[in-house]
Amino acid sequence: MCTNMRALDFKERGELKTEGFTVKSTMKNSVVVGPPAAGAFRERPAKPTAFRKFYERGDFPMALEHDAKGNRIAWRVEIEKVDYHQYLPLFFDGLCETVHPYEFFARQGVHDMLEHGGDKILPVIPQLIIPIKNALNTRNRQVICTTLKVLQHLVVSADMVGEALVPYYRQILPILNIFKNMNDLCLELTRSQGKK
Amino acid sequence: MSCAAYLDGNARPKSMCRAKQWTDEVENLYRFQQAGYRDELEYKQVKQVDLIDKWPETGFVKKLVRRDNTFFYYNRKRECEDKEVHKVKVYAY
Repeated sequence: MCTNMRALDFKERGELKTEGFTVKSTMKNSVVVGPPAAGAFRERPAKPTAFRKFYERGDFPMALEHDAKGNRIAWRVEIEKVDYHQYLPLFFDGLCETVHPYEFFARQGVHDMLEHGGDKILPVIPQLIIPIKNALNTRNRQVICTTLKVLQHLVVSADMVGEALVPYYRQILPILNIFKNMNDLCLELTRSQGKK
Repeated sequence: MSCAAYLDGNARPKSMCRAKQWTDEVENLYRFQQAGYRDELEYKQVKQVDLIDKWPETGFVKKLVRRDNTFFYYNRKRECEDKEVHKVKVYAY
């Protein structure tokens, strides 16, 4: 009730706006206003990623190909020969990116490596947790959607990956807890899965 | 396609038509044409290979080497959308 009043009304009635749990708030003519917003959903831009640095140096064994459908990655080295311990965490680090072509390369690169990794993926799981956590902590809806899709792909990409992620739930799940009631985010994920 | 075409390493197609609806064969043709080849026969002629990497579950092409020696990787599931089907060329020998 009090927060809907205009500031002038406070002065007219001799009432004082004040924050809660202060000595001022105990005064007779003081009106307690609500707490400031915590910013749980406020987006936090990610700092420059190692993925971007490596990409600009040309350290990745791939090139961008434009075709009628859109874009595709052409790999200069066979994925089977790529060092997963070095490159997979870097690609996951690029999930924070929102700008083309970094965003496309990271997403498609992760997809290709997970699709063709086989048993090379499981030993790298511990190194993927921090990049996944960083991507989710950006609170950017597009990044969160992409990361969730990557997690879905990760879990089905090889045996025992789901079990390997269990010790790291406490690092991944809190941010998902914040967005658990954001059903429009889920709707976007469901729609894009339907397109797949 | 005649069996003789497979024996002749330099067989050239006699006619071409566009695919009307999606099939497994159309999907593979789509993948070869994405990589810059007409079909499986031309790929084997150019790259001098006998076997092509395919997904065991679906039989779709998994990996192709392009003419510039870069690699294209394809998903195990269908990639050729319905709107792309009519662009796929089907060659007859």
